[in-house]
Amino acid sequence: MTEPMGRFSATSTISRGLEEAPVLRQGLGLTWLLAACGAGGRVVVPIVVQQAIDRGIVGSDDSIDVHMRFVVWCALIGVAAQLAAAVCQRAAIVRLGTRSEQALNDLRARLIGHIHRISLADHNEERRGALVARVTSDIETLADFFRWGGLAWLIDGTLMIIVAAVMLAYNWLLALIAIGISIPLFFVLRVVQRYLVAAYDRSRERNGNMLATVTELVSGAETIRAYDAGDMFAGRTQLAVKGRADSQIHANIIGAFLFPLGEVFSVVTIATIVTVGVAIGPTGGLTAGALVGFIFLTYRFLEPIAEFTEVLDQTQTAVAGLRRVLTVLDIPVGPPPPETPRPLPPGRFDIDIDDVTFSYRSRSDSSTSDDIVLDRVSVHIPAGQQVAMVGATGSGKTTLGRLIARLADPIAGDIRLGGVPLVLVDDAELRHRLVVVAQEPFLFDDTVLANIQFARPGATRAEVDRIIDEIEVRDWIDSLPDGLDTRVGERGDSLSAGERQLVALLRAGVADPDVLVLDEATSSVDALTEVRTSRALAKLAAGRTTIAIAHRLSTAARADRVLVLEGGRLVEDGHHDDLVQAGGTYQRLFDAWLSATST
Amino acid sequence: MSGAFLFGVCTVASSVAVQWVIDRVVVPRFEVGDVATSTIVAGCALIIGIGILRATGVVIRRSFAGMTQWRIAESLTNEVTERYIEQPASWHRRQSEGQLVARAGVDVDTTVGVMAPIPFALGTILMVVVAAIWLIATDVVMGVAAVAVFPVLMVANVMYQHRVDRHFDDAQQALGTFAGAVHESFEAVQLVKAYGAGQRETERLSHLAGVIRDARVRAVHLRGTFESLLEMIPSLTNIGLVVLGASRVQSGNVTIGELSGFIYMFTLLVFPLRLVGYALSELPHSYAGYARLRETLDDPFDPDPVAAIGTTTGDVAVRVAHVSFAHTGEPGPVVIDASVEILTGSVTAFVGPTGSGKSTLIDLLAGLLKPTAGSIDLVDGQRTVVFQEAFLFGGSVRDNVRVSEHLDDAQVWEALRLACAADFVSELPDALDTLVGERGVTLSGGQRQRIALARALARRPDLLLLDDTTSALDPATELAVLANLRSSLTKTTVVMVASRPSTIALADDVLFVEQGRIVAHGPHEQLMSEVDAYRHLVEAFETDRSRLPGTGDEFGSATRPNLGGVS
Repeated sequence: MTEPMGRFSATSTISRGLEEAPVLRQGLGLTWLLAACGAGGRVVVPIVVQQAIDRGIVGSDDSIDVHMRFVVWCALIGVAAQLAAAVCQRAAIVRLGTRSEQALNDLRARLIGHIHRISLADHNEERRGALVARVTSDIETLADFFRWGGLAWLIDGTLMIIVAAVMLAYNWLLALIAIGISIPLFFVLRVVQRYLVAAYDRSRERNGNMLATVTELVSGAETIRAYDAGDMFAGRTQLAVKGRADSQIHANIIGAFLFPLGEVFSVVTIATIVTVGVAIGPTGGLTAGALVGFIFLTYRFLEPIAEFTEVLDQTQTAVAGLRRVLTVLDIPVGPPPPETPRPLPPGRFDIDIDDVTFSYRSRSDSSTSDDIVLDRVSVHIPAGQQVAMVGATGSGKTTLGRLIARLADPIAGDIRLGGVPLVLVDDAELRHRLVVVAQEPFLFDDTVLANIQFARPGATRAEVDRIIDEIEVRDWIDSLPDGLDTRVGERGDSLSAGERQLVALLRAGVADPDVLVLDEATSSVDALTEVRTSRALAKLAAGRTTIAIAHRLSTAARADRVLVLEGGRLVEDGHHDDLVQAGGTYQRLFDAWLSATST
Repeated sequence: MSGAFLFGVCTVASSVAVQWVIDRVVVPRFEVGDVATSTIVAGCALIIGIGILRATGVVIRRSFAGMTQWRIAESLTNEVTERYIEQPASWHRRQSEGQLVARAGVDVDTTVGVMAPIPFALGTILMVVVAAIWLIATDVVMGVAAVAVFPVLMVANVMYQHRVDRHFDDAQQALGTFAGAVHESFEAVQLVKAYGAGQRETERLSHLAGVIRDARVRAVHLRGTFESLLEMIPSLTNIGLVVLGASRVQSGNVTIGELSGFIYMFTLLVFPLRLVGYALSELPHSYAGYARLRETLDDPFDPDPVAAIGTTTGDVAVRVAHVSFAHTGEPGPVVIDASVEILTGSVTAFVGPTGSGKSTLIDLLAGLLKPTAGSIDLVDGQRTVVFQEAFLFGGSVRDNVRVSEHLDDAQVWEALRLACAADFVSELPDALDTLVGERGVTLSGGQRQRIALARALARRPDLLLLDDTTSALDPATELAVLANLRSSLTKTTVVMVASRPSTIALADDVLFVEQGRIVAHGPHEQLMSEVDAYRHLVEAFETDRSRLPGTGDEFGSATRPNLGGVS
């Protein structure tokens, strides 16, 4: 069984879950009542059988006396009760089903909303799959629970209690025997169930392994062929496939024992009840009908136990899923929104970076000095200036760009836009006035137009057209098969890297921000697009404060001002023409770059 | 089958046993007042014995059914994956990877999914037949009344499953769409944040999630109705049987024990009948899965392009004669009448704009695609190709370099050194034993590409084909790798797709490809001076640099010593 500690956290998880999904609690009492009435229906038949046989048919070996009128009355009551129970059962199923689906839907929305508000640092690539799993498969474990387990708790649990009560009313001794035998059955089933769950876990893992191997075989088909490795991969795959089949068969055999165990226990119980019942005899206040009725009740009582052991595991899975979901809801949103936001000044504004230090939040609280990405950086950027930040990988230039865009907050120092501390700027206003164009711009699997309109959903086609002309990419749009309505494919795969950049620039154009933070692409782009991109960028940058995280030194050479970062520190600050002869970091970077790109 | 039979017979027998016990033990004890101990013991032994037998039947049936099911799944998956291995690249390019994986996984599972319940369903049907005969034999009137309910239950169940499945399928599909959208949205997180679109995204996704909810709520309504109905029908029948039974007892046609046994029997049959309905409703799914599998398995093999490649003699390593290529089902040819000879030991670069057909040319040389016209002859010996996207499989670095070749560690290290991968590999936690691939360490694109390169170099190939392989490396590493190639593998003929000016400059020979045609062939300098389109292209590669203020003269001559005349 679960340890006390675990049980405590399970209950607290459940109560926390109920808090997060209030829909679930509403009217739970009524649902339970309906379920109880529905379950009561299952007790009706054994009672009718008992009453009819016991009091309706009285007889000895030679003379049988049947009171038909009584039997019919019993039957009529039975039918009425059964009908009422059916109606209640339907209502209970529908109520629980609708409410749980609504609750899960609310939870999905809450999770997505929260995940979109947590810091980028919590969004790295390795965790993305996990976050998607929280919103999909973990919620699905809860949905499965409500579909089967929840209903079983509600109906079978109630049924067992009712049946036990009826049995106790009939004869407490026989009832205690039936209940007494069910306790070891429960524990035996739990043990088998435990093995079964382990076996299924293993087969799930092996199944994943098999699919991974097949995926490898399919995605590497060309290489496998080119390197004549077909036999080797066939061998690997067969091994994985056999492993999967073996584990499934193993789990299946364990599972095959689960159900019959209940069977064996119930026949033992019935035999015991018959023996004890016969021993007590009529003198003990027992009747033939009561004993017969008891036999049927025993079946009804033991029937749900096997199912219950399964339900218990499903419940554990669901609680684990819920716990993971709640853990995500506990990730603090970042950066935190200001309590009392201050508006940005109208028109252009200066940017002040004041003694800013940053380190990526490490899971363990102790951040060593190695984690420092930016170290006391201070810069004043006047409105309208074109700034390029350069430096080797890991110099901190990308991070500084992100801090200016408030995709993260510095751990020390502050950044002000037009004199207003960045942390006090309302997010909606900030996103309106400052736009980041990412290095590998993300495109949704939609049309070019829809991707551009992402910047401002209200933007009309005419407005988009105007921006297209403004940044001079009309010829490119016209070259697309369906113009603006061309679909870009998954992640924009139908477009080249350079073309995706163009969409991102159009997007930024539609947003019409005062400040443009530009994370330049590193990947090589075909020449024609390269020319277009540079031209579009120049048009877009005109009149705005532009901060480029430059990977190409040609960008730096065109900028009004170059900031050179090295190891998280600002080491040089000036114009390209001066820095290139200063004999410092910039000159070294520039020389290396020149020799690499020259022919 | 024997297990199923045992189960069927025992189910009927257990009912007979209960009836016997009631008639011989319970009733006499209460009506007559006494009963022999031996009868009680016999009765209990009968109930327990039959129960255990029935349980054994279940264990046997389920175990064997599982074994059959999963062994068949195993052979089906093997059959499908062997097909994948045997089909050449041209076939693979027409398929979607996800679909192929689904064939070997999900489709096989649904195909065999129907097998588990088949013995059970057969057993149940057998049991129902035996039980029906027994019920009718016990009492014709009651028997017929009870048996008449079976088909009603079966039909109601199949109807229910059929209808509810539609909603579940809808929900499943909606879940797929939702999961895809969530993934996309989280992938776009930076963009979403940059435009403050979190709220909008949440609303959009919630709307998609609502579709799942709606389909499931529809299913819940259906479920509520049918669950109650399917529970109610046998219960009402049971009550009816009691009334009918009472009158039959009155008329002396049945005993009280027979009546009880009858009702008990009926109760036992209800649950299996519902499962049979479930199994029947699974059949169409299973068939659909099998049909998809069959389609893949029956798809004829594409001809192997390698078989059509001839061998060259003398110092020609590659001879392409009037080769054209068009993708099946696509109108325009991708390669048009290409002819070229490449000398042994030379380095040749294919240069051209995006979509000009240079990668297709490499695929044709690599024997991955078969020319629609013309012939290809290649040097006899080891030929290897490295693709644009590096493929690493789950295994160690060593496995990935060796693949199926027997190489010792020294050879592996040497190959890694040539590919400029030795340094980072030696810094990996377990060096050569470090696991890479999906579940291994995370490597950058450039690192993956260098391991893939090492795999090719370890074979000391006579012909090495590189499909823009080195563009994933930074320029300095790229130059170093190519320099290593030149110095260590002097006999190797290298044919590569190149897009960086620095790479192109390293080649002895350049093939300029435009719109599927080889429009020019010669040394870089020659093409630069003679072919305008080529010069424009290479200059465009350099635009970035040529626009640098004040660098044209100062740095130009110094950094391009061996390529005078290029501006």
